[in-house]
Amino acid sequence: MEDILIKSSPETPYFPEVNFNANTGLCEISGESYMEETYKFFLPLSSWIKDYINNIRKGIEFNVKLIYLNTSSTKCILDILEILKEYENKGGQVKVVWYYDKEDPDMIDEVEDFEAESGIKIELREFA
Amino acid sequence: MKNKTLLSYRGPFYIELISVFGSNVRNYTNAYSNARKKLFRIFIELSQNVSYYSEDFHMVNNESRIGVGELNLKEFESHFTFTTKNLVKRSDSDILIQRCNIINSSSISDLRQLKREQRLNSPGEKFGARIGLIQAVMLSQNKINYQYEEVDKDFAYLSITVKIDKN
Repeated sequence: MEDILIKSSPETPYFPEVNFNANTGLCEISGESYMEETYKFFLPLSSWIKDYINNIRKGIEFNVKLIYLNTSSTKCILDILEILKEYENKGGQVKVVWYYDKEDPDMIDEVEDFEAESGIKIELREFA
Repeated sequence: MKNKTLLSYRGPFYIELISVFGSNVRNYTNAYSNARKKLFRIFIELSQNVSYYSEDFHMVNNESRIGVGELNLKEFESHFTFTTKNLVKRSDSDILIQRCNIINSSSISDLRQLKREQRLNSPGEKFGARIGLIQAVMLSQNKINYQYEEVDKDFAYLSITVKIDKN
């Protein structure tokens, strides 16, 4: 299974950086996310996670380091969290960590909403 | 200070433009840490509503639909206002105005619940989450001001203004 590596670019700051590693199960998304046709960007990411769950069947850690995501992106992130929750319910080892800026209470509220909507536990960690 | 226009634009809402304007919005609000993040986020949500839903639009490569509309960012002594204006179908006006009224009459905790329900039940894909306006009010903690202006028998302009306190 191939890794996913998408580098960020100053010309397109509305696309996040993505690093999904099939060997370690560590999946990281960072930067900002407010592109057009959000679902087209996120569909390969959720498909990759489904493939990993079905074929690799090891532990997976989803690290979110987004400083901003628009509401369309939140829907796509929720879809990923729901996939991970389903895997966890079937016995899969799942960890979700959300990095946040301590001066950004709106992001903490957002994470609480994600937990309530998906049912998955999200560990909050301050940006270093 | 009476009021000062920081940004004004009319035309197609390409993502490249929204991104550059968004960067300017961050620069204009550097001195106000509370308003800076909120205003940027509201700016993106409302601008993308114009881009996705305006009934006046450009087609790019016969594929992408880019909405045309207006935006206006003003600075006042204690707050900023951000306004977007775009063409809507008159047949959609009742539901749009009803949505604005529901949002304005809801408490922040009710809005949070509404946001969760709408995001969970949204079909996703090209429809997005359909919670941009709710998010704008939750961020600003101020009611939206809307104006509806008929153009002809089929279309009208809908403008939405959000007030963002500096502190």
